Amino acid sequence: MSAMISIQNVNKWYGDFQVLTDCSTQVAKGEVVVVCGPSGSGKSTLIKCVNALEPFQKGEIIVDGISVGAPKTNLPKLRARVGMVFQHFELFPHLTITDNLTIAQTKVLGRSKEEAMEKGLMYLDRVGLKAHAHKHPGQLSGGQQQRVAIARALAMDPVAMLFDEPTSALDPEMINEVLDVMTELAQEGMTMMCVTHEMGFARRVAHRVIFMDKGHIVEDCDKESFFGSPRSERAQQFLSKILQH
Amino acid sequence: MNYNWDWGVFFKSTGVGQEIYLDWFVSGLGWTIAVALVAWIIALILGAVLGVMRTVPNRLVAGIATAYVELFRNVPLLVQLFIWYFLVPDYLPEGLQTWFKQDLSPATSAYVSVVVCLGLFTAARVCEQVRTGIQALPRGQAYAGLAVGFNLVQVYRHVLLPQAFRIIIPPLTSEFLNVFKNSSVASLIGLMELLAQTRQTAEFSANIFEAFTLATLIYFVLNMSLMVFMGWVERRVRVPGLMVGGK
Repeated sequence: MSAMISIQNVNKWYGDFQVLTDCSTQVAKGEVVVVCGPSGSGKSTLIKCVNALEPFQKGEIIVDGISVGAPKTNLPKLRARVGMVFQHFELFPHLTITDNLTIAQTKVLGRSKEEAMEKGLMYLDRVGLKAHAHKHPGQLSGGQQQRVAIARALAMDPVAMLFDEPTSALDPEMINEVLDVMTELAQEGMTMMCVTHEMGFARRVAHRVIFMDKGHIVEDCDKESFFGSPRSERAQQFLSKILQH
Repeated sequence: MNYNWDWGVFFKSTGVGQEIYLDWFVSGLGWTIAVALVAWIIALILGAVLGVMRTVPNRLVAGIATAYVELFRNVPLLVQLFIWYFLVPDYLPEGLQTWFKQDLSPATSAYVSVVVCLGLFTAARVCEQVRTGIQALPRGQAYAGLAVGFNLVQVYRHVLLPQAFRIIIPPLTSEFLNVFKNSSVASLIGLMELLAQTRQTAEFSANIFEAFTLATLIYFVLNMSLMVFMGWVERRVRVPGLMVGGK
Protein backbone atom coordinates (compact mmCIF):
# COMPACT_ATOMS: atom_id res chain seq x y z
CA MET A 1 0.00 0.00 0.00
CA SER A 2 1.40 3.38 -0.93
CA ALA A 3 1.73 5.94 1.83
CA MET A 4 0.32 9.38 1.13
CA ILE A 5 2.30 10.85 4.00
CA SER A 6 5.45 9.17 5.20
CA ILE A 7 7.34 10.51 8.21
CA GLN A 8 10.74 8.97 8.85
CA ASN A 9 12.93 9.65 11.89
CA VAL A 10 12.02 13.31 12.09
CA ASN A 11 13.92 15.36 14.65
CA LYS A 12 13.41 19.00 15.39
CA TRP A 13 15.08 21.40 17.76
CA TYR A 14 14.26 24.92 18.91
CA GLY A 15 17.79 25.98 19.81
CA ASP A 16 18.91 23.40 22.34
CA PHE A 17 15.43 22.18 23.08
CA GLN A 18 14.38 19.09 21.19
CA VAL A 19 10.67 19.22 20.32
CA LEU A 20 10.54 16.12 18.12
CA THR A 21 12.60 12.99 18.60
CA ASP A 22 12.80 10.23 15.98
CA CYS A 23 9.17 10.50 14.91
CA SER A 24 8.19 7.94 12.31
CA THR A 25 4.77 7.04 10.98
CA GLN A 26 2.80 6.72 7.77
CA VAL A 27 -0.62 7.75 6.59
CA ALA A 28 -1.97 5.64 3.76
CA LYS A 29 -4.19 6.97 1.02
CA GLY A 30 -7.73 7.25 2.34
CA GLU A 31 -6.63 6.69 5.90
CA VAL A 32 -7.76 8.84 8.83
CA VAL A 33 -5.15 9.19 11.55
CA VAL A 34 -5.79 11.02 14.80
CA VAL A 35 -2.80 12.46 16.64
CA CYS A 36 -3.36 13.08 20.34
CA GLY A 37 -1.33 13.72 23.44
CA PRO A 38 -0.87 16.25 26.23
CA SER A 39 -0.12 19.87 25.36
CA GLY A 40 3.51 20.47 24.56
CA SER A 41 3.93 16.93 23.28
CA GLY A 42 4.85 18.14 19.79
CA LYS A 43 1.75 17.03 17.91
CA SER A 44 0.99 20.44 16.39
CA THR A 45 4.65 20.85 15.51
CA LEU A 46 4.72 17.47 13.81
CA ILE A 47 1.67 18.20 11.68
CA LYS A 48 3.12 21.59 10.69
CA CYS A 49 6.27 19.81 9.56
CA VAL A 50 4.22 17.81 7.07
CA ASN A 51 3.56 20.85 4.88
CA ALA A 52 6.79 22.57 5.87
CA LEU A 53 5.23 25.38 7.88
CA GLU A 54 7.81 24.33 10.45
CA PRO A 55 11.27 23.24 9.33
CA PHE A 56 12.88 20.14 10.81
CA GLN A 57 16.56 19.42 11.09
CA LYS A 58 16.81 15.65 10.70
CA GLY A 59 14.79 12.93 9.03
CA GLU A 60 12.53 12.89 6.03
CA ILE A 61 8.89 13.56 5.26
CA ILE A 62 7.46 12.48 1.94
CA VAL A 63 4.04 13.67 0.84
CA ASP A 64 2.57 12.06 -2.25
CA GLY A 65 6.05 11.12 -3.44
CA ILE A 66 7.62 14.53 -2.83
CA SER A 67 10.25 15.07 -0.17
CA VAL A 68 9.23 18.03 2.01
CA GLY A 69 12.69 18.75 3.36
CA ALA A 70 14.60 18.59 0.09
CA PRO A 71 16.03 21.99 -0.86
CA LYS A 72 14.81 21.72 -4.44
CA THR A 73 11.19 21.06 -3.52
CA ASN A 74 8.75 23.72 -4.66
CA LEU A 75 7.08 24.28 -1.31
CA PRO A 76 4.19 26.51 -2.46
CA LYS A 77 3.28 23.89 -5.04
CA LEU A 78 3.43 21.12 -2.45
CA ARG A 79 1.41 23.08 0.10
CA ALA A 80 -1.25 23.86 -2.48
CA ARG A 81 -1.87 20.10 -2.72
CA VAL A 82 -2.21 19.61 1.04
CA GLY A 83 -5.17 21.24 2.75
CA MET A 84 -4.68 22.62 6.22
CA VAL A 85 -7.20 23.65 8.86
CA PHE A 86 -6.02 25.65 11.87
CA GLN A 87 -7.10 25.94 15.46
CA HIS A 88 -7.99 29.62 15.04
CA PHE A 89 -9.52 29.20 11.56
CA GLU A 90 -7.20 31.79 9.99
CA LEU A 91 -9.60 32.88 7.32
CA PHE A 92 -8.43 36.09 5.70
CA PRO A 93 -10.55 38.61 7.65
CA HIS A 94 -10.31 41.43 5.08
CA LEU A 95 -11.79 39.29 2.30
CA THR A 96 -15.36 38.12 1.81
CA ILE A 97 -16.13 34.43 2.23
CA THR A 98 -16.25 34.09 -1.55
CA ASP A 99 -12.83 35.69 -1.94
CA ASN A 100 -11.44 33.49 0.82
CA LEU A 101 -12.61 30.47 -1.14
CA THR A 102 -11.35 31.60 -4.53
CA ILE A 103 -8.18 33.63 -4.02
CA ALA A 104 -5.76 30.70 -3.81
CA GLN A 105 -7.53 28.87 -6.61
CA THR A 106 -6.98 31.79 -8.97
CA LYS A 107 -3.59 33.04 -7.73
CA VAL A 108 -1.95 29.67 -7.08
CA LEU A 109 -3.69 27.16 -9.31
CA GLY A 110 -4.37 29.65 -12.08
CA ARG A 111 -8.04 28.79 -12.38
CA SER A 112 -10.42 31.24 -13.99
CA LYS A 113 -12.61 33.40 -11.74
CA GLU A 114 -15.74 31.55 -12.87
CA GLU A 115 -14.27 28.11 -12.31
CA ALA A 116 -12.93 29.07 -8.89
CA MET A 117 -16.24 30.62 -7.92
CA GLU A 118 -18.18 27.56 -9.00
CA LYS A 119 -15.90 25.26 -7.06
CA GLY A 120 -15.80 27.50 -3.99
CA LEU A 121 -19.57 27.83 -3.83
CA MET A 122 -19.99 24.10 -4.32
CA TYR A 123 -17.93 23.41 -1.22
CA LEU A 124 -19.51 26.28 0.68
CA ASP A 125 -22.85 24.67 -0.04
CA ARG A 126 -21.51 21.34 1.17
CA VAL A 127 -20.59 22.80 4.55
CA GLY A 128 -24.03 24.37 4.64
CA LEU A 129 -23.08 28.04 4.42
CA LYS A 130 -24.00 29.11 0.91
CA ALA A 131 -26.23 31.87 2.28
CA HIS A 132 -23.19 33.56 3.85
CA ALA A 133 -21.08 33.85 0.69
CA HIS A 134 -21.10 37.65 0.58
CA LYS A 135 -20.18 38.16 4.25
CA HIS A 136 -16.81 38.70 5.89
CA PRO A 137 -15.36 36.13 8.30
CA GLY A 138 -15.86 38.45 11.29
CA GLN A 139 -19.60 38.24 10.75
CA LEU A 140 -19.70 34.47 11.20
CA SER A 141 -19.59 32.34 14.34
CA GLY A 142 -16.49 30.31 15.15
CA GLY A 143 -18.06 27.07 13.97
CA GLN A 144 -19.14 28.67 10.72
CA GLN A 145 -15.69 30.14 10.17
CA GLN A 146 -14.08 26.77 10.68
CA ARG A 147 -16.45 25.17 8.18
CA VAL A 148 -15.54 27.87 5.67
CA ALA A 149 -11.86 27.16 6.39
CA ILE A 150 -12.45 23.50 5.56
CA ALA A 151 -14.24 24.49 2.36
CA ARG A 152 -11.35 26.80 1.47
CA ALA A 153 -8.91 23.90 1.81
CA LEU A 154 -11.14 21.49 -0.14
CA ALA A 155 -11.57 23.91 -3.02
CA MET A 156 -7.89 23.37 -3.84
CA ASP A 157 -8.60 19.66 -4.51
CA PRO A 158 -6.03 18.50 -1.96
CA VAL A 159 -4.57 14.99 -1.91
CA ALA A 160 -4.64 15.05 1.90
CA MET A 161 -5.98 17.22 4.70
CA LEU A 162 -4.19 18.27 7.87
CA PHE A 163 -6.23 19.39 10.87
CA ASP A 164 -4.47 21.17 13.71
CA GLU A 165 -6.85 21.11 16.68
CA PRO A 166 -9.78 22.27 14.54
CA THR A 167 -12.29 22.37 17.42
CA SER A 168 -10.14 23.56 20.34
CA ALA A 169 -11.05 27.21 19.95
CA LEU A 170 -14.76 26.61 19.54
CA ASP A 171 -17.64 27.01 21.94
CA PRO A 172 -18.98 23.57 22.92
CA GLU A 173 -22.19 23.88 20.94
CA MET A 174 -20.26 24.54 17.74
CA ILE A 175 -17.89 21.61 17.93
CA ASN A 176 -20.27 19.11 16.42
CA GLU A 177 -21.06 21.07 13.29
CA VAL A 178 -17.33 21.02 12.48
CA LEU A 179 -16.86 17.38 13.44
CA ASP A 180 -19.82 16.42 11.25
CA VAL A 181 -18.15 17.99 8.24
CA MET A 182 -14.91 16.19 9.05
CA THR A 183 -16.70 12.87 9.52
CA GLU A 184 -18.39 13.20 6.17
CA LEU A 185 -15.06 13.97 4.58
CA ALA A 186 -13.48 10.90 6.14
CA GLN A 187 -16.29 8.71 4.91
CA GLU A 188 -15.69 9.94 1.38
CA GLY A 189 -12.18 8.57 1.59
CA MET A 190 -10.16 11.73 2.15
CA THR A 191 -6.69 11.13 3.57
CA MET A 192 -6.67 12.94 6.90
CA MET A 193 -4.22 13.63 9.69
CA CYS A 194 -5.97 15.26 12.64
CA VAL A 195 -4.47 16.65 15.80
CA THR A 196 -7.44 16.66 18.16
CA HIS A 197 -8.60 15.97 21.68
CA GLU A 198 -12.00 14.82 20.45
CA MET A 199 -11.77 11.19 21.47
CA GLY A 200 -15.36 10.54 20.40
CA PHE A 201 -14.40 11.60 16.89
CA ALA A 202 -11.30 9.42 17.03
CA ARG A 203 -13.37 6.43 18.11
CA ARG A 204 -15.98 6.90 15.40
CA VAL A 205 -13.91 8.02 12.47
CA ALA A 206 -10.21 7.30 12.85
CA HIS A 207 -8.51 4.24 11.47
CA ARG A 208 -5.41 4.75 13.55
CA VAL A 209 -4.43 6.74 16.61
CA ILE A 210 -1.00 8.17 17.30
CA PHE A 211 -0.22 9.17 20.85
CA MET A 212 2.63 11.61 21.44
CA ASP A 213 4.43 12.64 24.60
CA LYS A 214 7.47 14.91 25.01
CA GLY A 215 8.27 14.86 21.32
CA HIS A 216 8.12 11.09 20.95
CA ILE A 217 5.53 8.99 19.19
CA VAL A 218 4.69 6.72 22.10
CA GLU A 219 1.84 4.80 20.61
CA ASP A 220 0.88 4.22 16.98
CA CYS A 221 -1.80 1.59 16.49
CA ASP A 222 -5.31 1.00 15.19
CA LYS A 223 -8.01 2.65 17.23
CA GLU A 224 -9.43 -0.55 18.71
CA SER A 225 -6.16 -1.43 20.39
CA PHE A 226 -5.56 2.18 21.40
CA PHE A 227 -8.85 2.60 23.18
CA GLY A 228 -9.04 -1.02 24.28
CA SER A 229 -5.62 -1.57 25.71
CA PRO A 230 -2.98 1.09 25.23
CA ARG A 231 0.44 -0.42 25.80
CA SER A 232 2.27 2.54 27.30
CA GLU A 233 1.60 3.73 30.81
CA ARG A 234 1.61 7.34 29.62
CA ALA A 235 -1.20 6.69 27.15
CA GLN A 236 -3.20 4.84 29.78
CA GLN A 237 -2.92 7.83 32.12
CA PHE A 238 -3.87 10.22 29.35
CA LEU A 239 -6.90 8.19 28.36
CA SER A 240 -8.09 7.71 31.91
CA LYS A 241 -7.91 11.44 32.47
CA ILE A 242 -9.77 12.58 29.38
CA LEU A 243 -12.28 9.77 29.16
CA GLN A 244 -13.53 10.14 32.72
CA HIS A 245 -15.93 12.90 31.88
CA MET B 1 -1.04 95.88 23.30
CA ASN B 2 -1.14 98.79 20.98
CA TYR B 3 -1.29 97.13 17.64
CA ASN B 4 -3.44 98.20 14.74
CA TRP B 5 -4.65 95.03 13.09
CA ASP B 6 -5.00 95.50 9.36
CA TRP B 7 -6.57 92.48 7.69
CA GLY B 8 -6.76 94.41 4.45
CA VAL B 9 -3.04 93.98 4.02
CA PHE B 10 -3.41 90.77 2.05
CA PHE B 11 -5.12 92.65 -0.73
CA LYS B 12 -2.51 95.36 -0.94
CA SER B 13 0.11 95.46 -3.63
CA THR B 14 3.42 93.90 -2.77
CA GLY B 15 5.24 96.35 -4.96
CA VAL B 16 6.51 93.44 -7.00
CA GLY B 17 4.74 93.44 -10.36
CA GLN B 18 0.98 93.22 -10.09
CA GLU B 19 1.04 90.84 -7.14
CA ILE B 20 -0.89 91.33 -3.95
CA TYR B 21 0.24 89.64 -0.73
CA LEU B 22 -2.48 87.02 -1.00
CA ASP B 23 -0.91 85.82 -4.24
CA TRP B 24 2.26 85.06 -2.32
CA PHE B 25 0.34 82.91 0.13
CA VAL B 26 -1.42 81.04 -2.66
CA SER B 27 1.87 80.36 -4.40
CA GLY B 28 3.45 79.31 -1.09
CA LEU B 29 0.61 76.92 -0.38
CA GLY B 30 1.08 75.45 -3.85
CA TRP B 31 4.76 74.71 -3.16
CA THR B 32 3.96 73.29 0.27
CA ILE B 33 1.45 70.88 -1.23
CA ALA B 34 3.79 69.99 -4.10
CA VAL B 35 6.62 69.20 -1.68
CA ALA B 36 4.51 67.27 0.80
CA LEU B 37 2.52 65.15 -1.63
CA VAL B 38 5.51 63.95 -3.66
CA ALA B 39 7.55 63.34 -0.51
CA TRP B 40 4.63 61.38 0.92
CA ILE B 41 4.39 59.15 -2.14
CA ILE B 42 8.12 58.39 -1.85
CA ALA B 43 7.76 57.76 1.89
CA LEU B 44 4.77 55.47 1.50
CA ILE B 45 6.30 53.29 -1.21
CA LEU B 46 9.80 53.11 0.27
CA GLY B 47 8.43 52.78 3.81
CA ALA B 48 6.23 49.85 2.82
CA VAL B 49 9.16 48.08 1.18
CA LEU B 50 11.41 48.71 4.19
CA GLY B 51 8.70 47.69 6.63
CA VAL B 52 8.26 44.39 4.82
CA MET B 53 12.04 43.93 4.73
CA ARG B 54 12.21 44.26 8.50
CA THR B 55 9.78 41.35 8.93
CA VAL B 56 11.10 38.81 6.41
CA PRO B 57 12.92 35.76 7.74
CA ASN B 58 16.30 36.83 6.34
CA ARG B 59 18.81 38.52 8.60
CA LEU B 60 20.69 40.42 5.93
CA VAL B 61 17.54 41.91 4.39
CA ALA B 62 16.08 42.80 7.78
CA GLY B 63 19.43 44.23 8.86
CA ILE B 64 19.63 46.57 5.89
CA ALA B 65 16.18 47.97 6.67
CA THR B 66 17.02 48.35 10.35
CA ALA B 67 20.21 50.23 9.52
CA TYR B 68 18.24 52.54 7.23
CA VAL B 69 15.71 53.32 9.93
CA GLU B 70 18.34 54.01 12.57
CA LEU B 71 20.28 56.29 10.24
CA PHE B 72 17.36 58.39 9.05
CA ARG B 73 15.52 58.50 12.35
CA ASN B 74 18.45 59.56 14.48
CA VAL B 75 19.72 62.52 12.47
CA PRO B 76 17.73 65.78 12.69
CA LEU B 77 15.67 66.59 9.66
CA LEU B 78 17.36 69.94 9.19
CA VAL B 79 20.83 68.38 9.17
CA GLN B 80 19.63 65.89 6.60
CA LEU B 81 18.25 68.67 4.45
CA PHE B 82 21.53 70.58 4.47
CA ILE B 83 23.39 67.39 3.57
CA TRP B 84 21.07 66.71 0.63
CA TYR B 85 21.20 70.32 -0.57
CA PHE B 86 24.80 71.39 0.06
CA LEU B 87 26.84 68.17 0.25
CA VAL B 88 25.31 65.44 -1.86
CA PRO B 89 25.30 67.40 -5.18
CA ASP B 90 29.09 67.70 -4.96
CA TYR B 91 29.43 63.93 -4.93
CA LEU B 92 27.09 63.23 -7.84
CA PRO B 93 28.54 61.96 -11.14
CA GLU B 94 29.63 64.84 -13.34
CA GLY B 95 26.67 64.91 -15.73
CA LEU B 96 24.14 64.81 -12.95
CA GLN B 97 26.08 67.44 -11.04
CA THR B 98 26.02 69.97 -13.87
CA TRP B 99 22.35 69.26 -14.42
CA PHE B 100 21.52 69.82 -10.76
CA LYS B 101 23.69 72.91 -10.28
CA GLN B 102 23.39 74.68 -13.61
CA ASP B 103 20.43 73.44 -15.65
CA LEU B 104 17.88 73.45 -12.87
CA SER B 105 16.52 76.73 -11.63
CA PRO B 106 17.40 77.48 -7.99
CA ALA B 107 13.80 76.82 -6.99
CA THR B 108 13.74 73.46 -8.73
CA SER B 109 17.01 72.24 -7.27
CA ALA B 110 15.83 73.26 -3.80
CA TYR B 111 12.55 71.48 -4.52
CA VAL B 112 14.28 68.25 -5.59
CA SER B 113 16.51 68.32 -2.49
CA VAL B 114 13.68 68.84 -0.06
CA VAL B 115 11.42 66.24 -1.65
CA VAL B 116 14.16 63.61 -1.58
CA CYS B 117 15.13 64.55 1.96
CA LEU B 118 11.61 64.58 3.35
CA GLY B 119 10.61 61.44 1.45
CA LEU B 120 13.55 59.40 2.74
CA PHE B 121 13.22 60.80 6.28
CA THR B 122 9.52 59.98 6.48
CA ALA B 123 10.06 56.56 4.88
CA ALA B 124 11.98 55.50 8.00
CA ARG B 125 8.99 56.40 10.13
CA VAL B 126 6.46 54.78 7.79
CA CYS B 127 8.67 51.67 7.79
CA GLU B 128 8.34 51.33 11.54
CA GLN B 129 4.58 51.62 11.35
CA VAL B 130 4.28 49.07 8.57
CA ARG B 131 6.49 46.72 10.57
CA THR B 132 4.34 47.11 13.69
CA GLY B 133 1.20 46.58 11.63
CA ILE B 134 2.54 43.33 10.21
CA GLN B 135 3.77 42.13 13.58
CA ALA B 136 0.41 42.90 15.17
CA LEU B 137 -1.21 40.21 13.00
CA PRO B 138 -1.57 36.69 14.40
CA ARG B 139 1.24 34.38 13.26
CA GLY B 140 -1.41 32.03 11.94
CA GLN B 141 -2.26 34.43 9.13
CA ALA B 142 1.13 33.99 7.50
CA TYR B 143 0.86 30.23 8.08
CA ALA B 144 -2.58 30.17 6.47
CA GLY B 145 -1.29 32.12 3.49
CA LEU B 146 1.59 29.73 3.02
CA ALA B 147 -0.63 26.71 3.60
CA VAL B 148 -2.90 27.55 0.66
CA GLY B 149 0.16 27.64 -1.57
CA PHE B 150 1.08 31.33 -1.71
CA ASN B 151 4.76 32.19 -2.05
CA LEU B 152 6.20 34.77 0.33
CA VAL B 153 5.46 37.71 -1.99
CA GLN B 154 1.84 36.61 -2.34
CA VAL B 155 1.50 36.16 1.41
CA TYR B 156 2.52 39.79 1.90
CA ARG B 157 0.54 41.07 -1.05
CA HIS B 158 -2.75 39.27 -0.41
CA VAL B 159 -2.76 38.48 3.30
CA LEU B 160 -0.44 40.55 5.49
CA LEU B 161 -0.22 44.02 3.93
CA PRO B 162 -3.95 44.61 3.33
CA GLN B 163 -4.55 43.92 7.01
CA ALA B 164 -1.46 45.74 8.30
CA PHE B 165 -2.29 48.93 6.39
CA ARG B 166 -5.81 48.96 7.79
CA ILE B 167 -4.43 48.72 11.32
CA ILE B 168 -1.95 51.56 10.87
CA ILE B 169 -4.19 54.13 9.21
CA PRO B 170 -4.42 56.28 12.39
CA PRO B 171 -0.64 56.58 12.98
CA LEU B 172 -0.10 56.94 9.22
CA THR B 173 -2.47 59.89 9.32
CA SER B 174 -0.22 61.62 11.84
CA GLU B 175 2.76 60.95 9.63
CA PHE B 176 0.91 62.34 6.63
CA LEU B 177 0.24 65.55 8.55
CA ASN B 178 3.86 65.64 9.70
CA VAL B 179 5.06 65.68 6.10
CA PHE B 180 3.05 68.84 5.49
CA LYS B 181 4.33 70.49 8.64
CA ASN B 182 7.92 69.35 8.09
CA SER B 183 7.85 70.71 4.55
CA SER B 184 8.39 74.14 6.12
CA VAL B 185 12.10 73.33 6.48
CA ALA B 186 12.27 74.00 2.75
CA SER B 187 12.15 77.71 3.55
CA LEU B 188 15.68 77.40 4.94
CA ILE B 189 17.16 76.52 1.56
CA GLY B 190 15.25 79.25 -0.20
CA LEU B 191 12.22 77.41 -1.52
CA MET B 192 9.33 79.88 -1.39
CA GLU B 193 6.76 77.62 0.22
CA LEU B 194 4.14 78.79 2.69
CA LEU B 195 6.41 79.65 5.61
CA ALA B 196 8.93 81.48 3.41
CA GLN B 197 6.14 83.51 1.81
CA THR B 198 4.78 84.34 5.24
CA ARG B 199 8.12 85.64 6.43
CA GLN B 200 8.56 87.63 3.26
CA THR B 201 5.12 89.16 3.69
CA ALA B 202 5.94 90.04 7.28
CA GLU B 203 9.14 91.76 6.20
CA PHE B 204 7.71 93.60 3.21
CA SER B 205 4.52 94.82 4.82
CA ALA B 206 5.56 94.97 8.48
CA ASN B 207 2.20 93.31 9.25
CA ILE B 208 3.90 90.42 11.03
CA PHE B 209 0.92 89.36 13.16
CA GLU B 210 -1.53 89.23 10.27
CA ALA B 211 0.93 87.29 8.13
CA PHE B 212 1.56 84.60 10.74
CA THR B 213 -2.11 84.42 11.72
CA LEU B 214 -3.03 83.67 8.12
CA ALA B 215 -0.23 81.10 7.83
CA THR B 216 -1.44 79.40 11.01
CA LEU B 217 -4.95 79.33 9.66
CA ILE B 218 -3.88 77.87 6.32
CA TYR B 219 -1.78 75.12 7.94
CA PHE B 220 -4.65 74.35 10.30
CA VAL B 221 -7.33 74.12 7.62
CA LEU B 222 -5.00 72.12 5.37
CA ASN B 223 -4.25 69.56 8.06
CA MET B 224 -7.85 69.35 9.24
CA SER B 225 -8.90 68.57 5.68
CA LEU B 226 -6.28 65.83 5.49
CA MET B 227 -7.58 64.36 8.73
CA VAL B 228 -11.12 64.36 7.43
CA PHE B 229 -9.89 62.74 4.22
CA MET B 230 -8.00 60.01 6.09
CA GLY B 231 -11.02 59.40 8.30
CA TRP B 232 -13.03 58.86 5.15
CA VAL B 233 -10.40 56.45 3.82
CA GLU B 234 -10.50 54.55 7.10
CA ARG B 235 -14.26 54.16 6.93
CA ARG B 236 -14.07 53.20 3.26
CA VAL B 237 -11.74 50.25 3.85
CA ARG B 238 -13.23 49.13 7.15
CA VAL B 239 -13.94 45.41 7.17
CA PRO B 240 -17.44 44.41 8.29
CA GLY B 241 -17.38 42.40 11.49
CA LEU B 242 -13.77 43.28 12.26
CA MET B 243 -12.78 45.20 15.36
CA VAL B 244 -10.29 47.54 13.67
CA GLY B 245 -11.15 51.12 14.46
CA GLY B 246 -13.81 50.42 17.07
CA LYS B 247 -17.47 49.90 16.32
